[in-house]
Amino acid sequence: MKKFPRLAAAVLMLALLLPLAGCGSADGKTHLTFQIWDVFQRPGMQAVCDAYTAQNPDVVIEVQVTSWGEYWTKLEAAGESNTMPDIFWMHTDQILYYADFGILADLTDLYDETDPNFFQDHYTEVSLGNASGTDGKIYGVPKDKDNVVLVYNKEMFDAAGVSYPDESWTWDDLTDASQRIYDATGKYGYMAYNDEQLGYWNFVYQNGGYILDPETNIHAGYTQTATADAIKYYVNLQKNDWCPDQNYFAETSPGTAFFSEQGAMFFEGSWNLLAELQNYPDMVGKWDIAPLPACPDPESGDGLATISNGLCYATAARGKNLEIVKDVLRFFGSEEGQRIQGESGAAIPAYLGQEDSWSTEFNKFDYVIDVQVCYDQFDHVIQYINNASRRKWKSTVADEMVRVYNGSDIDASLAKMQSIADSYVTAE
Amino acid sequence: MKSTDSLRRSYAMTKFVTYFFLILGAIIMVFPFVWMLLTSSKTVPESMQIPPTIIPAQLMLDNFKDAIDSLPFGRLYINTALMVFFRVVCAVLFSSMAGYAFAKLKFRCKNLLFGIVLIQMSLPSQIFIIPQYQMVAKMGLSNTIFALVFPGLVSAFGVFFLRQTYLSIPDEIGEAAYLDGCNQWQTFYKVMFPLTGTSVAALTIFTAVFAYSDLMWPLVVNSDLSMMTLSSGLATLRGQFSTNFPVLMAGSLLAMLPMVVLYLIFQRQFVEGIAGTGGK
Amino acid sequence: MNKKLSAAARREENWGWFMVAPTIIGLVVLNLWPFIQTVYASFCEHLGFGHYQFIGLKNYITMFQNAEFWKATWNTVFFCILTVPVGIILALFVAILLNSKVKFKGGFRTIFFLPLVCAPAAIAMVWRWIFNGEYGILNQLLGAKIQWITDPKTAVLAVAIVSIWSSIGYDAVLLLAGLQNIPKTLYEANSIDGAGKIRQFFTITLPMVSPTLFSVMIMRLMASMKIYDLIYMMAEETNPALTDMQSLMYLFYRSSFVAGERGYGSAIVVWTVALILLVTLIQFWGQKKWVTYDI
Repeated sequence: MKKFPRLAAAVLMLALLLPLAGCGSADGKTHLTFQIWDVFQRPGMQAVCDAYTAQNPDVVIEVQVTSWGEYWTKLEAAGESNTMPDIFWMHTDQILYYADFGILADLTDLYDETDPNFFQDHYTEVSLGNASGTDGKIYGVPKDKDNVVLVYNKEMFDAAGVSYPDESWTWDDLTDASQRIYDATGKYGYMAYNDEQLGYWNFVYQNGGYILDPETNIHAGYTQTATADAIKYYVNLQKNDWCPDQNYFAETSPGTAFFSEQGAMFFEGSWNLLAELQNYPDMVGKWDIAPLPACPDPESGDGLATISNGLCYATAARGKNLEIVKDVLRFFGSEEGQRIQGESGAAIPAYLGQEDSWSTEFNKFDYVIDVQVCYDQFDHVIQYINNASRRKWKSTVADEMVRVYNGSDIDASLAKMQSIADSYVTAE
Repeated sequence: MKSTDSLRRSYAMTKFVTYFFLILGAIIMVFPFVWMLLTSSKTVPESMQIPPTIIPAQLMLDNFKDAIDSLPFGRLYINTALMVFFRVVCAVLFSSMAGYAFAKLKFRCKNLLFGIVLIQMSLPSQIFIIPQYQMVAKMGLSNTIFALVFPGLVSAFGVFFLRQTYLSIPDEIGEAAYLDGCNQWQTFYKVMFPLTGTSVAALTIFTAVFAYSDLMWPLVVNSDLSMMTLSSGLATLRGQFSTNFPVLMAGSLLAMLPMVVLYLIFQRQFVEGIAGTGGK
Repeated sequence: MNKKLSAAARREENWGWFMVAPTIIGLVVLNLWPFIQTVYASFCEHLGFGHYQFIGLKNYITMFQNAEFWKATWNTVFFCILTVPVGIILALFVAILLNSKVKFKGGFRTIFFLPLVCAPAAIAMVWRWIFNGEYGILNQLLGAKIQWITDPKTAVLAVAIVSIWSSIGYDAVLLLAGLQNIPKTLYEANSIDGAGKIRQFFTITLPMVSPTLFSVMIMRLMASMKIYDLIYMMAEETNPALTDMQSLMYLFYRSSFVAGERGYGSAIVVWTVALILLVTLIQFWGQKKWVTYDI
C-alpha cells in the first residue's frame, strides 16, 4: 500500500522539478530572451549579443530559433498572454498588426538623449518605413535591408555561348538567353516561379505599375494596365519550354533546381546567398549574381526596380525589462552593432555606410560572387508592399494567383484580386 | 467428395496466392525505407537524374554530416525519450485510477464526468495548441521537458481503454478484498491494478508511439532546437533544406533509427501490446 | 445498519471523486475549457490578440456560403471514404493472410507494422519524394507523368495512399488479434458441412471479427475526419492543388493561424466536431445491424 503512492509522488515531484533544471537565474544577472526564425543567422545574432554582454556583464541574452510558421503562431499567443520574448525580430508582413494593436514598444525616442535625428541620419526612408506603424512612429530598430538579384549558372551560359547577364540586360535578354541555353544544353533557362517578393512584384514595378497605389498606400492596382500587363508577362513565362511549370516548383524549389544544375537562372533574395554558398560547396565558382533585368518598354519610369524589405528588432510594450531591453536595442542599432551583424554575413546592415561589412564572409570563399550588385541595386529599390489590411487579403489574393497558374482566366482573376484587396479599403 | 489430389492442388494454390500477396505487400511496405536509404547517399544532382540511378554512385556520408550539423541529434534523442517516459507514466497512473473508479465505484455525476472523457476523444488536437501554449508560457515553463509532456498529463483514451479492462474483471474479486479489510485504494492498488498488466503494457506502447509522433506541439511550445523532439526537429530540417531530398532522407533515417531499433528488439511486445488496444 | 451503509457509500463516493480528479481536472483545463472557448469564438470576430467581438451567426453564414469550405468538407469526406472502407478491407485482407499457416509470420507482421514506429514527418517526406512528378521513382516505374501531389485530381488520393500505407499494419494487427480469438472448433464444425472458404468467411469469420472491425472503424474514422498533419507535411503553400486537397482541419489552420481569422476558424472546428459526432452516432446506431457480439 505504501510503496505505490510514494513511487507516484516521487515521479510527480520529478516531473515538476525537471523544468527548474532549465533556468538557473540565481546569479543576479538580468536574463533576456531573443527570438529569431532563421537558423542561419543564429551565429550572427549571437555575435551581436556577445558584443553587448562583453560591455554589460550583468546582462545575459539567450538567442532562440523557431521556424517561420510556428514563430508567428507563438508570438501572437505570447502577445495575448503578455509572455513575449524580450527581443524579437519583426517582419514587414506582421509589423502593422502588432504595432497598430499596441503590442510593440514605441522606439521613436530611443536615441533622443544622444542624437534626436539618429534614425533619419543613419537609415534610409525605406528601412524606416519597414519598421514603422500605420501611425508613422518607429516600432523596431532596423536590422537589415535586402533586395532581389538574378542568380545565374556560368557554366550553362558558357556552354550556350551567351554572355553573362549585366546591368544592361532587359526582359528580352532574359528570355532570349533562356531559349538559347535550353536549345544548347537542354537545361531550363530562367525559372519564373509563383512568388510575390521574389517574383511578379519586381516585374510590376519595373513596368511602372503598382500593387498598392504609391500616393495613399491604400488602393490596390491589380487591374491597372501596367500592373496587369507585367503579371501576365510573368505568368506566361511558364508557357515557354525553357521554364518549368508551377507543378514542378511546388515539388522542387527553384533553389534546389538551380543548385542541382537543372536550370540556369532564378531570382533570389540577397539574404539567402551566403547559406547557398555554404550548403552547396560543390557549386561554388559555378554561379554568380547580376542585377535584375530591366523592363525594355515600361509604361512609366526607367524600367528598373527591385523589391527591398528589411527586418527590425522589436520588443513588447508591456515587457518586464523594458529599460534594459531598450539599451540592448540601442546597441543593436548602433554602428558597431550593425557592423558586427554585417561581418557575420547574416544580412546587409540597414545602417548607412556599413553595407559592405557584409562582404567579409563572402570574401572567404575561393570564388567571390559579385555582392556589389546588391549594394548598387539600393539606388532603385521599391519598399516591400504592405498596409494595415494586407494581412487579411494576402492569403486570399495568393490563392487567386494559384488559380491563375492553374489556368483560370487571368483578367477575371486580376479583377477578383482587385476587389478582394479593395473590399478592406471601405471596411476601414 | 474431392479427390486428395485436387485437394492437394487447391491447397498448394491457396499457399501460393497467400505468399504472393504477402510478399507483394511486404515489398510495398519496405520500399519507401529502401528508397530513403538509397537517396540518402546520393548527391542532389544524382537524385534528380532521369532515368534515375537506383544504386548511388558511391557510399556518401556527406548528407548525414549535413543533417547532424543542422540538428543536435543527441539532445533530440534524450528529449524524446524523456517526453515519452513522462507521458507514459502520467497516462498509466492517472488513467488507471480513473479507469478503476469509472468501472467499479459508485459516485455522483459519474456519467457526466465520463461524458467529458468521451467528448475529448472526438476533439481535434490542433485547437488546444494556442490555449495550452499560453498556459505553459504563463507558468514560465516554455522550453522545458515539462512543456513537452504537458498536453499528455492526462489521457482520455487511456481512461476509456482501462475502464474497459476493469469492467471485464469480476466484481467479486474486489468485494473479497473489501471483506478482507482493504479500503478502496488498497483494493485498487493491491488487488485490481496487478490484474491489468497486459492492458497497461498496451497503453504504454500506444502512448509512447503517439507521443513520439507528436509534431506540432513541440514546435510551438519550445523555441530551441536543443529542446525539440525527433519528429519536430525533422520538420525544422525541412524548413532549412526545403526540397534537398538527400539531406532530408539522411535526417529522417537518423531520426527513425532509435525507435526502429527498439521496435525490432521488442517487436513481439510492441505488436502484441498494440493488438491489446483493439478492445471488444 | 442503514447508517453504516451510507457511511460506506459516502466513503466510496469520496474515493471515486479522488481517483477521477486528476484526469477530470486535466481534461477540463487542457481540453474542455479551450473547446468551450472555441465554440464561443465561433460566434465572434477576432479583432486581434485574443480580443473578440460577438457577431452572432455571421461566421457560419459566411462559411456555408463559401465554396472553399464545401470543397474542404468534401475532401475530408472523400479522404474518409478512401481510408476507412478501402484501408480497412486491405487491412482485413492482410490480417487473414497473416492468420493462415505461413512461414515467417512474425517477420511479415513486423514489416507491415513498421510505419507506425516511424516519425510521420519522415514518412511524409519520403513519399513526397516518391510521388515527385518530375524526378519521383513512382512515375519512373509506371512510365507515367502524373503530378501526384500537385494535380487537384490526384492530390487527395496521394495523401490517402500514404495514410493507408502507414496505418494498414496497425489495423491488421488489431484485426489479427480478433481473428485469433475465433475458436478453431467453429471452422472444424463448419468444414464437415463442406462449406467453401468464401462462405466460411461470410458465415463465421466476418461475424466473429465484427466487434474488432467496428472498433477499428471508429478509431480510423475519427482520425481521418481530423486529418491534418499529413497534408501539412506533404503540401507546400505554393502547391497549385492546395485549395483542392485541403481538409477541414487544414482549412482551420490556414484561417486561424495564417490569416488570423480565428472566429471563422473556430466555426470550422465546430462544424468538424459536429460531423465527427454525427458520423460516430450513425456508426453506433448502425452497428446493431452488422456487429455480432455473441454467436
